[in-house]
Amino acid sequence: MNRPTEKGGTVKSLKEALKLFKLGAPMHPIFVHFTIALTSASLIFDALGFFLDKASLTAAGGWTLFGSAVTTLMTISTGLTSSTRAPIEEGEARSFLRAHMALGLIFFGLLVAVTFWRVSLWQNAQGVSWLYLISLAVVSLVMTVQGYLGGELVYRYGVEVEQAHRELPEREAKSAPPRLVSTQNQESVVSTKG
Amino acid sequence: MTGTPFIGLYPFQWIALVAAGLTLLFLADAFAGHYRSGFVFRSQYAPFIGGGLLIVTAISAVLKPEAEWANLALRLAGLLAIVFGLVGFGFHHYYGIVKKPGGYKWLLHYLMYGAPQLAPLALTITGMLALVAAHGLANEVSIAGVSVRTALLTLVAVALAGAILQSGILHYRGAFNNPLMYAPLTVPVLAVVMDIWMIIGPNDMVLLVFTTLLWLTFLIGFVGLGMHLRGFGRQMGGLYVTIFNWLEGPPAFAPALFTGFAGVGLIAAYFL
Repeated sequence: MNRPTEKGGTVKSLKEALKLFKLGAPMHPIFVHFTIALTSASLIFDALGFFLDKASLTAAGGWTLFGSAVTTLMTISTGLTSSTRAPIEEGEARSFLRAHMALGLIFFGLLVAVTFWRVSLWQNAQGVSWLYLISLAVVSLVMTVQGYLGGELVYRYGVEVEQAHRELPEREAKSAPPRLVSTQNQESVVSTKG
Repeated sequence: MTGTPFIGLYPFQWIALVAAGLTLLFLADAFAGHYRSGFVFRSQYAPFIGGGLLIVTAISAVLKPEAEWANLALRLAGLLAIVFGLVGFGFHHYYGIVKKPGGYKWLLHYLMYGAPQLAPLALTITGMLALVAAHGLANEVSIAGVSVRTALLTLVAVALAGAILQSGILHYRGAFNNPLMYAPLTVPVLAVVMDIWMIIGPNDMVLLVFTTLLWLTFLIGFVGLGMHLRGFGRQMGGLYVTIFNWLEGPPAFAPALFTGFAGVGLIAAYFL
């Protein structure tokens, strides 16, 4: 792939910036944020609506939960695509991935169940109850664990991270950069001179 | 139309929708199994014809619940699916056990490693669900003298019992290598018992326990889907070699049957 700017060079023009644009960008991290934000927002809106007795807040809680159930379908399907790009060798990363995959569908089942519950409350003109709030909190907790596992996959094991870090511009330079000397070696040189 | 609507659909529209969804999912598993065996018999294509028609007609009935042609098509597709399912059961039994070396003397072996014996009956069950949905959409309150609600609850009990038996034998083959493999043998069994109780002597307490167990069975389906997906991940190469591991791993969508059948039970319990 001939894209020097990705190796540490400075992006100087729109043309160079456009060259960096790729349609193959992972979509899972995008949809994940909708699931997390909408589910958490639903819990917060419902809890506030319940404690402050504000119907508008509980309505917002219902719509955000419904939005979460819909976008989570996309989160799951893009997650399955992403999982095929994980390192193939057996190890910790794959263990995390397996747990993440299993928990993902369990979370979705809970989300669907709680969404149906929410719709039935709305249809019967009933407000949310303590039991509903606790259930939604449990669903959010499962989502948190799921999000943590996903975070570990990306930030610890670099799944779908194309380059672990941007390389320094010296890599492109004609002459080699000065060699790094560790602090310990410097101290020993100083003590020998002394 | 009969029953209380939920999210814009009447109960029998929901049942037709669930029947279509379940058919789609188990056809995907049937395709994996039949493709793995190389489609050696032309009859192995039959479930895709019967199931495909069922999906199309069920969705037509959901979209046009009062159209007579859609209702008639759903009934015919339902009957065809019932017949194809029963014939498939016969084929699985004959070619999966009887005709194999050792036959019945190796029954346990062939139950575990031969063609899944009860799998074709899933098509029969969804065909029956389609028939019940068609009767319900036509505002008929009973089928052969049995109320539609009782017919649905009976179907759910039979379907769940079949799913429990099939998953039990396959999880036994898998040596119950994960504690969650016992899940289909726990709550769904109690749900079947309570389902029968609901048919014989319904009251408010029985209804509460029954619906609670059905919700748990509904969730167990998702747990199963997640764990079967994890099962692919445990195969060599995981999802990196998706097609191979889809064919060789646990049946991908089979646990969804628990969710679907529990869903039908919940529809019958709450809205009919």
